Amino acid sequence: MSENVIELSNVRKEFVTTKHDPGWRGAVKGLFTREKVTKVAVDDVSLAIQKGEIVGYIGSNGAGKSTTIKMMSGILTPTSGTCMVNGLEPYRNRKKNAKNIGVVFGQRTQLWWDLPLSETYTVLKEIYDVSDEDYKERMNFFEDVLGLQEFIHSTVRTLSLGQRMRADLAAALLHNPKVLFLDEPTIGLDVVVKDKIRQAIREINGKYDTTVLLTTHDLNDIEQLCRRIIIIDAGKKIYDSTLNQLKKDHGYRCSILFEWKELPDSEKLERLRNLSEKAVFEGQERGGKVTFNKNELSVAEVIAGVMRILEVKDIQIKETELTDIVKNIYQNRAEA
Amino acid sequence: MTKFFQVYWTFAANQIKSNFVYKGRFYLFIIRKFLGMFIYYYLWMAIYASSPSGQLGGFTRSEMILYVFLSYTIADIVMIGISSEIGKDVLDGSVAMNLVKPINYRLYLTSKALGVMIYRIIVPSVFIWAGLEIYKVTALGMAVSSPSQIGLALISILLSFFIYVFFDYCFGMLAFVTTYIFGMTIIKNAALNLLTGRLIPISFFPAVVQEIFSFLPFTAMTYVPVMIWMGKYSGTEALLQLGKQAIWVVLLYLLGSLLWKKIEKRLVILGG
Repeated sequence: MSENVIELSNVRKEFVTTKHDPGWRGAVKGLFTREKVTKVAVDDVSLAIQKGEIVGYIGSNGAGKSTTIKMMSGILTPTSGTCMVNGLEPYRNRKKNAKNIGVVFGQRTQLWWDLPLSETYTVLKEIYDVSDEDYKERMNFFEDVLGLQEFIHSTVRTLSLGQRMRADLAAALLHNPKVLFLDEPTIGLDVVVKDKIRQAIREINGKYDTTVLLTTHDLNDIEQLCRRIIIIDAGKKIYDSTLNQLKKDHGYRCSILFEWKELPDSEKLERLRNLSEKAVFEGQERGGKVTFNKNELSVAEVIAGVMRILEVKDIQIKETELTDIVKNIYQNRAEA
Repeated sequence: MTKFFQVYWTFAANQIKSNFVYKGRFYLFIIRKFLGMFIYYYLWMAIYASSPSGQLGGFTRSEMILYVFLSYTIADIVMIGISSEIGKDVLDGSVAMNLVKPINYRLYLTSKALGVMIYRIIVPSVFIWAGLEIYKVTALGMAVSSPSQIGLALISILLSFFIYVFFDYCFGMLAFVTTYIFGMTIIKNAALNLLTGRLIPISFFPAVVQEIFSFLPFTAMTYVPVMIWMGKYSGTEALLQLGKQAIWVVLLYLLGSLLWKKIEKRLVILGG
């Protein structure tokens, strides 16, 4: 059992906002009196993350992901509960904690807007007291993996979103932090850039055993990077397990698409419909789709069953994708 | 300790570089400064021309010329607002990016303001001062300012800088409470124009008002260094004023720390 780098116990964060009544009346009324509303952004969340893990932290918009990350990076103070990162309470030791962590907020930048990109790195080198040797080594690494040399001398405001994000990731990694918080690092990026970002994260994790906590809406990020995922909804943790377990738990629905050699008559169609009580058959133009639960029927059984009835030209097996699983979990929560 | 200065100096240095980035802004900035100063100069000259006595509020016409240019340039390098940056950081949430770094937010802002001050000393205050000294001796027939006078004034300017920045930091803390401080900034600037003596020298005010002002930090922002430069404060008086400025630096610094402590607990980062 290795050490826990991040430990949250019963963390709760409330925000007090003011309520605005709609319309003109509300606008005028708001000038004199405002109703205070307490909103719970994070509700009793406990979790532990070990050194070297890459954990996907997902949830629908407004679920409380960013708020959690902000508490872990020391910007926000939890209303109750404790949060420990590298054995420090981030909000009580903000500056000390900051040396141990690297943060990328996908929607913001920490680069100096009006100056060439290289200037930002010289500033960061001073702030984090990075030695010349380490600096050179890491810059070489970033140039290889993130392709920084293309735009290292361009002014930051002229960079494209993809370039800026790569530069921001490099900025967060320059001091080789023990923990890396990535809040939607691939938002709005094209496939190639996403790939570069993922590769950089993977390599850093492999090389320095950096712990990574990643929030994203792109589940490909999760599938390619994380072994473990935590799902949060309306401030509450609703799932915390490995990716494989999640697929086992929720990815049991499977469908097989068949393409017929020749169109079946109504008798054969009837037999297909009655293939099994546990499977659902839907006829399609030149074929059919059988949907079933993998825990109850095996793929082989279904294919054999269908092929006993008629000849098949092509078969496509569709396992439930992570996207569907997560969508289901979100929706079930919303209905419950 | 050297490390400390090295870190914060890089902020100042980058700020200076940033100021040179926009060519148009660079020239417009200089033109605007000169326009402002000369409007102010002609206004006072008109007042003196229509006044029966050659002296107003303890200032001769020549002294008023000096006052106009000195107060304008000194206010320009001393009153460097950081509250607008705090306001912007709070409004779009980018304050988060500064808080995840192992740096002190106030020192970071102060360093950047220092960068702006250095920039403004070069562009163009130092040339105006040189020109003013020459004009003073040749056209107005006054004695050149003594090195000790200028030395004390420069110390006073540095203290003024810290008074204003720490004051503005406290003011900027309001942004965390109200989210939007643009309107209050306008009120603040209008009030400061009057309270610092930038618009009208403090000596023009009634004695009672002057007495009240001496208990406020505002006169220490520009009026004191100008008076020292002009030799209106004698030796001990000048030192007394410097001491008073130093006290304000400390008081405003402590007030800022107190406010930040209160606000840190209830911080909200806007925009996701």
